[in-house]
Amino acid sequence: MKESSTPDITLALALADAEASHYSSSVEEELFVLFDEMREPLFRYLLSFSLVAADSEEVIQDTFLALFQHLRRGKPRQNLRGWLFRVAHNLALRKRRDDWKQMETFFSPVTLPPEEAVIDPAPNPEDQLAARQERTVLLAVVDALPEQDRRCLFLRAEGLRYREIAEVLEISVSSVSVSLGRSLARISRAAGR
Amino acid sequence: MHVSDQDLVLAADGELPARAAARVESHLAACWTCRVRQQEIEGAVGEFVRTYRRAFDARLPSSEGPRALLKAQLSQLGATQPAPWHRWFQSGLWRFSWVLLGAVACLAVAILLTSPSWFARQQVQAATMMIPDPALTPGATVFIGREEVCRASNTKNRTVPATLRRQVFEEYGIHPAQPLAYEVDYLITPALGGADDIHNLWPESYGSTMWNAAVKDALEDHLRELVCAGQLDLATAQQEIAANWIDAYKKYFHTDRPIQPVSRRMDR
Repeated sequence: MKESSTPDITLALALADAEASHYSSSVEEELFVLFDEMREPLFRYLLSFSLVAADSEEVIQDTFLALFQHLRRGKPRQNLRGWLFRVAHNLALRKRRDDWKQMETFFSPVTLPPEEAVIDPAPNPEDQLAARQERTVLLAVVDALPEQDRRCLFLRAEGLRYREIAEVLEISVSSVSVSLGRSLARISRAAGR
Repeated sequence: MHVSDQDLVLAADGELPARAAARVESHLAACWTCRVRQQEIEGAVGEFVRTYRRAFDARLPSSEGPRALLKAQLSQLGATQPAPWHRWFQSGLWRFSWVLLGAVACLAVAILLTSPSWFARQQVQAATMMIPDPALTPGATVFIGREEVCRASNTKNRTVPATLRRQVFEEYGIHPAQPLAYEVDYLITPALGGADDIHNLWPESYGSTMWNAAVKDALEDHLRELVCAGQLDLATAQQEIAANWIDAYKKYFHTDRPIQPVSRRMDR
């Protein structure tokens, strides 16, 4: 009994190992397709949290490590994009909470960087000035929005559907539509002025 | 009546239910005011997206370094972590799960056997099944002679006081008391001079099928007859029933098994 079963177990273990490593590599391929596609949207979204670039990079690494575990455990694969935003959002919140140095920026809702940091490719100085003024107004409007409204806008700008936004922010779909309607009305009023 | 800003946004985003979307569309075809408003909102979306992208795209670092870092972290993670459970099952390795199950079962038995409280409890239950624990229930008698025992008024129908019953359950570690599973019985029946004493009482299991209380009753009746007929000394009867009533039964009925299957005694 023992003599016959031991090689079988060894073989089965070897097969399982081979399968597992093959499985891991296919999961890795899938993961890097998503990484290439989603890194930039996630990065922009994290920067909008007032996270510095290094912290955003760290959150993205952690998010994809979590995705790797998620895929390896055979968890549901539908809407991984929404899943990535949700995990990144929560990690960013935690990071912002934990990091004492971030407390100042947490209390002052500066979500967009100062205008000086942006290189404007517009050729005409007058157009440049007008565009800059317009953007300054818009930045002020966006910064004045409640945190949740800003989050809805940023997530929508990254192409998430209302249901996905609702999942990331853990609010209802109708809250998302109310929020977006309100924010865009404000922005359009400011732009029309 | 115009379309609200919110519905205009929902319609543009394709988030309205089909019927509502059709209503908004036909209204927009008819209403210039709402169409202009919709364009304003689309303009706001454009403004926002341009500003948002412009603000952050310049700050996006190259992805090459982070990509390599992630790859390194993943290979480390893959090397240190075993295949997940569901892969293990899919791999067919589960067919050898009896090996694992066996090991787990052995471990469980080992733990149970080495656990002193479990062992003690099992001992108690084995003892209460048929014969009492001699340390707890050595048997106790009242000082009465043969004449009193054999008096017609001395019947077996004595109930054990409730407080005494509780004490017996407690003494045998049966928490909470289980009056439906055990009968608190006299070791030496009062019909043979047994005392209302905790040392003469034990929880006799109803679950015992062969050497049960009815069999013990038969022994008690037989011994009393022998004592009253002068064929057996009362003290000897008391001692033998207290030492091991099953042995006494075998001795006095000349048998290794209860003579006839007797139904469980419930009327005492």
